[in-house]
Order: sequence, then structure tokens, then C-alpha cells
Amino acid sequence: MNELKQLGKDLLQNGTVKVIIGYAEGTTPNRAKPFIARTPEDAEKLVFNKYCVNNLAVYLTRKEYKGKGTVGIVAKGCDVKAIVQLIQENQIIKDDVYIIGMNCNGAVADLGKADESLAVKCLNCKVHTPHLYHTLLGKLEEMPKTEDENLKMIQKLDAMTAEEKWAFWEAEFEKCVKCYACRQTCPMCYCERCIADKTQPRWIESSAHTRGNFSWNIIRAFHLSGRCIGCGECERACPAQIPLTLLNRKMGMVAFKEFGYSAGMALDNPTLVGNYNTTDREDFIK
Amino acid sequence: MEEKTFEPKITAFVCNWCTYTGADLAGTSRLKYKPNIKMIRVPCTGRIDPVFITKAFEKGADGVLISGCHPGDCHYNTGNFHARRRWVLFTELLNYIGIDSSRLFFSWVSASEGKKFVDVVSNVIDTVKAKGPFQQYQKINKEFVLDE
Amino acid sequence: MEEKIISQGNLVSFVGELIKNNCMVIGEDKKGLGWKRITDAGEIKINHKDIPSNISYKEFLFPKTESIFYYKNKKEDYELVEAPEFKDKIVFLGAKPCDARSIEIMSKVFNWDYKDKFFNERADNSIVIGTACNYQDEFCFCTSVNLSPSTEKGSDLFLVPLDENTYALKIVTEKGKEFIQPYAKYLTDGNITRTQETLAKVKSPEKKFESGKVREWITGNFEHKLFDAIGSTCVGCGQCAFACPVCHCFDIVDEECSYECGRRMKNWDACQFGLFTLHSSGHNPRDNQNKRYRQRIAHKFKYYTDKFDEVLCTGCGRCSRGCPVGIDIAQVAKEINLVANQV
Repeated sequence: MNELKQLGKDLLQNGTVKVIIGYAEGTTPNRAKPFIARTPEDAEKLVFNKYCVNNLAVYLTRKEYKGKGTVGIVAKGCDVKAIVQLIQENQIIKDDVYIIGMNCNGAVADLGKADESLAVKCLNCKVHTPHLYHTLLGKLEEMPKTEDENLKMIQKLDAMTAEEKWAFWEAEFEKCVKCYACRQTCPMCYCERCIADKTQPRWIESSAHTRGNFSWNIIRAFHLSGRCIGCGECERACPAQIPLTLLNRKMGMVAFKEFGYSAGMALDNPTLVGNYNTTDREDFIK
Repeated sequence: MEEKTFEPKITAFVCNWCTYTGADLAGTSRLKYKPNIKMIRVPCTGRIDPVFITKAFEKGADGVLISGCHPGDCHYNTGNFHARRRWVLFTELLNYIGIDSSRLFFSWVSASEGKKFVDVVSNVIDTVKAKGPFQQYQKINKEFVLDE
Repeated sequence: MEEKIISQGNLVSFVGELIKNNCMVIGEDKKGLGWKRITDAGEIKINHKDIPSNISYKEFLFPKTESIFYYKNKKEDYELVEAPEFKDKIVFLGAKPCDARSIEIMSKVFNWDYKDKFFNERADNSIVIGTACNYQDEFCFCTSVNLSPSTEKGSDLFLVPLDENTYALKIVTEKGKEFIQPYAKYLTDGNITRTQETLAKVKSPEKKFESGKVREWITGNFEHKLFDAIGSTCVGCGQCAFACPVCHCFDIVDEECSYECGRRMKNWDACQFGLFTLHSSGHNPRDNQNKRYRQRIAHKFKYYTDKFDEVLCTGCGRCSRGCPVGIDIAQVAKEINLVANQV
């Protein structure tokens, strides 16, 4: 990705950006990891390939980058969705970000594995070319057609009885260790003090028993409804391998079905839960 | 041993300006209703985060009622409009997890609707009583407890 | 030390008898967290040629959440009730040296100024059946932290896979000897030469850094700007601490069971969490991720060694494999080693 390295060098050299948040090679050739380039020499390490699955927008809401000059960011379409959503929610200022848009041909679901099948987010992606950027790099290529097993599972869950659904989720949430990796890797979980950390009163128990786990996972899924941009980082980060995309993607589908809203698309879209319509549905209210 | 008939525990989150006042009117009018509900007064239904609902279920509620001002009448102008959207999303979420969202009730009750308050509450209590205790949450509440 | 031979078939029968005698046999499980209680001896697999599990087995010694006591509200007073004593026998089956050593390493801090009965009850009732390891990848670095694929220290009994159907069983500790006595019928006489030949063929991961040098450098360089770079992409997710066989920080919280009673819970905690060092005054001495990541490195390679003469790391590589942002602790230590050598 020589044009990326060159652009990175130029941007840092002429001071257009203070840092570039991008990807560098990981420990093995089939991995990539987030990397902060601060000098033109650092820019030599920037790469972009199918192993660049991380959503780098998670770093944009950090205190160290706010008000300290323009931040460059290497972004795929899904990452740009996160950036757009963050701008919609007034968490970052549009002019403080320099988006290096990357034409993307899909990222792997899991790093370091022999199985290089695509991530769930890539299967129905409509933003192989990002919808917002300052510079666009990379070439689009034909992508292999893959079965959307994730969607099939959501449909399977929808068809289950309440008891079956509960049994499914109970078995999954039992494994949760409350590491909060899902929250930390999520670009939309930017609250300085998460409700799970509030102790007076304690709304969400921090213990990793079933009750505490249900509480945490339900509330996080709710707080993301209509805001989750579907990057799947939560599921990838989870050490207990809980299928969180089944939950968050479903809520995204609900937001679209009920309100016609898709997170992270148009910059001037009003946010879903931050706004209302006088004609919103209320047939369930007596 | 005499079998005690099941009496449901209902938690009601009600907005201060409309429903709470409506409930007060029910009281001053000496309208009777069953004592199964515990009311929690909030300034506006817009204050209600679904975490209140999960907390109520965790604490042993068999049903939860949320009630506020009619759309357009909110004391803070738009609180109930925001709340309305949240409830759609939250009930879908509960259904997807397999939690019976029909134990969650919503209503608009104004300050002058004392009778309506009594009707709503009675309906909630009767419905939940017919459903029985909330087994799912009671089961997960049994971890890490002392055997009596 | 004494050495015996056990066939795969006999191993299965041995485990079967253990399960029948109500021992908690903990074996590797590829799904979920990685270790589980085995109920069917037929499903055991000694994974010596395979990647370590996602998370270590410390869950069984130091549960992710446990109650340390209960309280009951009485009219004018309250009553405290101790949590029930842990009396089960635990057998860890197929622990690679990087896992097997974890009990000894953690024991040091749990028996330092306070004897942690919750850990000790479980550790004292545990038997570790270790196995020589024939796996390594780019993330393994046991040889850099005073271990190797054939280290027996930490196991009570140690299996060396001789072929598809046979293991050498080395009896390492007195505890192990006593334990295996009633099951001697499953064992046959050992063949020391064969075992030695097999072990000689085991490939060790190459040494990536000198843990002593890393410790020395950290001592004089707490404010070094290297720490600004290495932790800069960490998102503070805590996966590393939770997957680690020797990380042991915990949080104490009180919860209600009902109106009349409650419990005090001991939960896993991680120094990578933002609020880990938040004081009640509102001051947070480690208020950014760089400082928190520095703490992780310093604790593992310096503070723990200063106190207990052990590196708080077994080189299993789980933290690096599972890190969502690809931070590799061996590479970090290697970089420190490089900088240390330049001085």
C-alpha cells in the first residue's frame, strides 16, 4: 500500500494532521493491528489489507485527541459509519478529522486463523467505497459471494419460542466474564462513566453471575439500539465467544423496520433515540 | 398446609405531573384498587432508562407498569415522545431474548384520569396474576443464595 | 523421580474412576472459555499438540465471581454467615507447563500477608496432571520466563506423550505420589530412556528476551517515553488479565439477595480498567491507558519478581493471541530488552 504510506508521510510532514490512526503489521503475517503514526518515519509502517478488521473510530473519542489538532484516520466504509454516527452525536467535530477513505474488499472474521472467511459486516456491505472521506485510496475488486450464516441464525432465533430463546441466551450469557471488552472496543460506547460503573445506586451488577450478565448484556444492547453500526468488534473481542452480533445486528434491523433508520449513514440524519416524531407508533400504549 | 394464592408484585414507574397526580386523584376520590403495586415517582417518563425495568424484574417484580402524560401534554414538552421510541426498541429486545414482554405495560394517564388509573392498574394486576410468578428471573435470582 | 507408563485406554479408565469417585476433573474444551468439568471420560483429550485454550483454568481456583460471606438482616442486628467451605477434589488434566506453574506462582501472593482461604481451599485440594507440550507458535515465549515445554515444576504428575497411545507418567511431588497410589493398577513400569529420547525431540520456543534485563530497565525508567508508545492503542478491555493464568486482581462488591439478606462478592478485576485506581476523592493516579499498560508490564516483570522471586507470567501467549488490538506482550518485552541493551 505504497500510496497510503506516501500520503501518511506527506500529511504528517506538512502538519495537516497531528497523528494518523492506522494499521500496521501484526505479530504474524496474517494479522494487522491498530497503529498510531506520529512522525513521517512512522508512516512507513502503515498497511492496509484484509486483516485490517479493527474499527479505528474507537480511538477518536479519546481525550488525548480532542482539541489537539486534526487527527488522520485510515477508514473503511464501516469505520466511516462509526465516524458519521459520532459526528451526528456531537462526539467529534467533522473538521477535526481527516478521513483517509479506503476502498475495501472485505476483512477477515477472525485474525490468525487458517479460516479466512469474511467478517459478518462484510457480507451485506453497501459501503465498499466509504461514503465520507477527504482522500480515497485503494482499488475495489470482485468479492466472493458468501452465505450470511449470521442472518440465518437471527431468523432461526426469531422463529423460536420464548422458552427456547431464553435457553439460548442463558447458555450464552452464563459464559460472560464481565471483562467489558465488548464495551471497550465499541466506538459507540464512549461514555466517560458507563452506567455499569455507577455504584450509587448499582443498576448493573458487576458480578459475573447469570443475573449480572443478563443485566449487562441487555442494557448494552439497548443502549446501542439504533446506534450500533455493525462493525462486529464486540463479538471478535469477546474472550468467551458470545455471539453478540446476533443481538446488536437484530436491534439494528428493528430500528430500520420500525423507524426506517440506519445508523452512520447520512451526516445530517437526526439520530434515532435523540429525536422523536409525533407520529411514532403507540399502539402498545393503553 | 394452606396454599397461598399467588399475589403478583407490580412495580409502577409513573411520571410526577400526570400519572402520579392521577393516582392521587384516585385516592382522594376513594376509588379502590388492589394493593399489589409499588409506585415509583419519576419527574417524567423520559427519565426512565430500561435499566429501571430490568432492575425491577431482578428485585422480584412480576410485572412492570410505566405510565405518563399523554403525547402533547408532557410537562417538559417532549419527554414522553422520546420515551415512546425507547419502549418500542426495548420491547423488541426483550422479546428477542425470550423475556415475556407482555409483563411490561405502558399507559398514558393524565392528572384528571383517576378512574382510568384504577382501570389500568387493575388490568395489569389481573393479567399478571393470571400469568403467574415471573419464573425466568426468579430462577436466575437463586444463584449465590444461602439455603435456608 | 519415579516414572511409570500409562496407555491412552488406561488413562480414560483412570479418569472414569476419578469421576465416579466425585473428583472434579477439569479438562480442555475447545468451545466457550476453554476448560470445563469433564463428565464423560471418553471425551478427554490431552492437547499437547494444540493451541492453548482461550482462557486459563484459573476460574476453578479463583472463580470469576464468588461469595465470600453472606449477611442476614435481623430486627436490630445482622448475622454474618461464612460462605460454604470448598471441599471437592479438583484434578486438572493436561495442563501444559505454562498453565501448571500458575498455581505455585499465584500461591505466593495469596499466602503473603493474608492467607486467602478461598484460593487455598481450592489449591490445596487440587492435583495438577501436567503434560509436556509439543505446540508453539509466534506468541509462545515460555523459555523467556524460566519455563520450557517440558518443565515439570508446578505439576504433581507429569505426562509425556510417547506415541499416539502411550504416555510416560512422572511422579513429581509427594502429593502426586499419594494421589496416584490407589490407581496404581492403571500403570506399568516406566522406560526412562524412551522418555528422555522423546523429550529431547521437543522443540522449545526460541528465547525472545531476558526477563532479568527487562526488570532492571523498568526499575530506572518509570517515566521513559517508550511507555507512551507501547500502550497507546490499548483499549483497556481487560481480556489479557482475564485470560491470563496468573493475573489475580479482584474487586469486592456487596449485593442484595433479597430484602432480608445479602452477600459480599469477590469478582475478577483488571488493572487495565479505567476505574481500577480511582480513589474515593476522585483522583485517579493512572488516568490514561499508557499508565495502565505500564503498570501491567511493571507488575509482571518487576514488582512481582521483587517481592516473590517469580515472574508473573508463564509465557502462554493467551493475552497476545486474544488481544483485540494485537498488542503482543513478548514483543513489548523484547523492545524493552533492546532499549535496555542500547544504554
